[in-house]
Amino acid sequence: MGKQIAKFIVNGRDYELLIEPNMTLVEVLRDEIGLTGTKCSCGVGECGACTVLIDGKPTLSCLTLAMTARNKKITAIEGLADGNVLHPIQQAFIDHGAVQCGFCTPGMILMSKALLDEKPNPTRADVKKMLAGNLCRCTGYVKIIDAVLAAAETMRKEGKK
Amino acid sequence: MSNQLSVVGKRIPRQNAEDKVTGAARYTVDIKLPGILEGMVLRSPYPHARILSVDKSKAEKLPGVVAVITSEDVPEKLFNISDLLPLASDPEASGIKRDQRIFTDKARFVGDAVAAVAAINKRIAEEALGLIEVEYERLSAVFDPVEAMNPDAPEVHDSIKGNIAWYQPFTTPVGDVEKGFSEADYIVEETFSTSKQMHYQLEPAACVANFDATGRLIIWSPCQAAFILRNIIADLFDIPEGKVRVITPHVGGGFGNGTSLRAEPICVALAKKTGKPVRLEFTREEHSTATETRQPNIQTAKMGVKKDGTITAIQTKLISDAGAYITQTIGPTNASVRRVLQLYKCLNLAGEANIIYTNTPVSGAFRGYGTPESMWVLEQLVDIAAEKIGMDAVEFRLKNHIVAGDSSSNPTILVESCALDECIKLGAEKIGWKEKRGGEKIGVRRRGVGMAIMMHVSCTYPIRLEHTSAFIKLNEDGSANLLVSACDMGQDILGALAQISAEELGISAEDIHVVSGNTDVTMFDAGQRASRSCYVMGNAVLRAAGEAKQQLLVRAAKMLKVSADELEVKNRRIYVKEKPDIGISVAEVSKAAIYNFNGDCLNISGKCSWEAKGNPLPFQAVFAEVEVDTETGEVTVIKVVIAHDIGRAINPMTVEGQLEGGIMQGIGYALTENCVINRDSGVLESDNYTTYRIASSLDVPETEVLIVEQPTPSGPFGAKSVGESGLNAIAPAIANAVYNAVGVRIKDLPITPEKILDKLITMQG
Repeated sequence: MGKQIAKFIVNGRDYELLIEPNMTLVEVLRDEIGLTGTKCSCGVGECGACTVLIDGKPTLSCLTLAMTARNKKITAIEGLADGNVLHPIQQAFIDHGAVQCGFCTPGMILMSKALLDEKPNPTRADVKKMLAGNLCRCTGYVKIIDAVLAAAETMRKEGKK
Repeated sequence: MSNQLSVVGKRIPRQNAEDKVTGAARYTVDIKLPGILEGMVLRSPYPHARILSVDKSKAEKLPGVVAVITSEDVPEKLFNISDLLPLASDPEASGIKRDQRIFTDKARFVGDAVAAVAAINKRIAEEALGLIEVEYERLSAVFDPVEAMNPDAPEVHDSIKGNIAWYQPFTTPVGDVEKGFSEADYIVEETFSTSKQMHYQLEPAACVANFDATGRLIIWSPCQAAFILRNIIADLFDIPEGKVRVITPHVGGGFGNGTSLRAEPICVALAKKTGKPVRLEFTREEHSTATETRQPNIQTAKMGVKKDGTITAIQTKLISDAGAYITQTIGPTNASVRRVLQLYKCLNLAGEANIIYTNTPVSGAFRGYGTPESMWVLEQLVDIAAEKIGMDAVEFRLKNHIVAGDSSSNPTILVESCALDECIKLGAEKIGWKEKRGGEKIGVRRRGVGMAIMMHVSCTYPIRLEHTSAFIKLNEDGSANLLVSACDMGQDILGALAQISAEELGISAEDIHVVSGNTDVTMFDAGQRASRSCYVMGNAVLRAAGEAKQQLLVRAAKMLKVSADELEVKNRRIYVKEKPDIGISVAEVSKAAIYNFNGDCLNISGKCSWEAKGNPLPFQAVFAEVEVDTETGEVTVIKVVIAHDIGRAINPMTVEGQLEGGIMQGIGYALTENCVINRDSGVLESDNYTTYRIASSLDVPETEVLIVEQPTPSGPFGAKSVGESGLNAIAPAIANAVYNAVGVRIKDLPITPEKILDKLITMQG
């Protein structure tokens, strides 16, 4: 299997890389581009820590062949903030104590973004359901759910996405 | 007093949260070094086998492979991976045995390390592992501790008949249990078993190691006890401690899994052999088999009670499954025995434990460290006893639990403080105990309520070394650098210590820059375990800050031309108590002391080396409401009320977070988590999140966290611990609630639908 050139658009920047066809997207993000914010915890798509957004849709990057993500708009956690201005979801996670060890946090935040894009006014049950594929061992989820609901309110008030 | 505190008691968000929400936080596997090699470990596929030969020649020849190491390439020393070895004054006499090697002489479980490779990338490393040829002589294996105790059972460790790794009597039998039982009106005796729970923190074990050009070893590791890691590696590889630096990057969870060495010994061996930096990252499957789990226990407990609810005797016997190596199993085993005997007032106590080797993955330290295991036993036994005499479960506990002044979990210390009465009463009210406990339970889905209490510790005094240090220095701008060696694995100990020091110094929490995670810079601490850090390190930090404060006041007094005892410091300002207008900022004083042209230079600072000489136990009451589906056996946890006797919540948001996290680990322990080990092959079949089910957001019940504050005398601002406590009483509260709902008592963890249905069918039949 020879290496191939592929273009990746990550957080609004173009990357032209030489990669093997069987490389996963999480490997490309972490090892080839150097964006280590996306984590790999289980490698089998069960824990959600590797979640990124591809064209706005939440995707398990450990199960995604990098080649299938060529030329698509990929958002990794490093691209969510606007320069130094944190996204309301990021700020809410901080304010509500939703971050403990932080290993699940990037995937959890991006999944929350996808949730709020789809449902700007979710119920607590909606949030619990949508985040069910993002495992956390530290927080017990309570403050994560609080943070997402608080972010939703902020985003509705400020007309933000 | 609390309304006089400015920083302690405030819900301050953690300091490094920006790093974590933006992806900037670097964990061990995110470390990049030029020329770093990837390590991988070859592990035994057999549960019990002699290793006759290891041929690495083919693997070594694979292009891209830099080194292949086996037992010939590493120190032959026996050691113990757990952090207990240096923390015990007489390890061998305490059941902390050196019974393992870096690469094993004999495979004792599926996953035991045999060899390792360092290559330029993971793909080549993996291919190289496949080229290492190992000749095994398979031996009979034993997976069950009771079977292993048979003198004819396969010997996991040669010459240890019956696989008894350690026998531990309860060191100070109290009174006369036989007499006590003879005085009882009723005797209840039951046998319970607990499960092999895995930590499953999101960050798998990893290590980066590098010998720099001067020959100093630098280790990056998410280890929970950096100085102990340094000690053990230095001893293992014969390197002076001063030539080893341990750096702790961000840590993705610990829960005790990081108190033992994991990837470090092999990673260091590879770095030594190759002369290059090496990263060794465990896969999730590898983390499951090759790092320690909670120990599974089989525990029998017997209690004598009088009709009036007095407890006349308690006796307990425990079989604890250590797995293939003993590591620190003695710790939770001891606790499992003691806590059953000493949470309730009783004059006649006896207990003993056997720790057994089996050919299974290793047991060791997991949050709670014997308390979840023992409360599973005690709190169900208490419910059984209370029912026997027709006494309400809440009343029975209120009558019998220990109180301040009683002797506690260790015979030589007394209970410093206990707010259990308030915890129990508050919790009972919030769950609706009176309304929901009684009455006929009917219908397909039935609800019930149950409770459990617990006691835990705030450090390991007087059993283990309780040494810690703190250093604080003031900067020109009035901020301070606090140097402590504390592993923040999510519990935000650094935030708590910042709040404690800021309160003492009269500045803000955000003015404290906490420096941690580098053994070259900070002084000694025994490690983040036993929920000790807030109590032990908090006390050291308080004293260090106190010393710096004194220097501040003396210097300010000179500058203001008053005497130091007239002064107070608050809100970043030092002022005369009686005349607040006369004052000067902390910043001005600090700067003037540094840039002093009058021959009186001083960088204001404070230092403290401290040892705990007490152990204020935190207590807790948990109330659970469950719904049991009598057709499927499924249990849904509807509501959990947790009332925790914290002494003082340094940061209530952090305390809540610890309890909420503990609740979900407790629900997993109660309902879904257990290692599934194939009884033929010895293979751990539940080795990823797909097969080992931890709680998800869908499992979160209605949760009410009640922080009960009755400050304890020896705690920093009155604080006791919380780190482990959230988990300890959840499973028995759920079991007792299930019994209340459907009359079925499950004594073997986890409580599965199959077990409930089995019992329901038997009851109906």
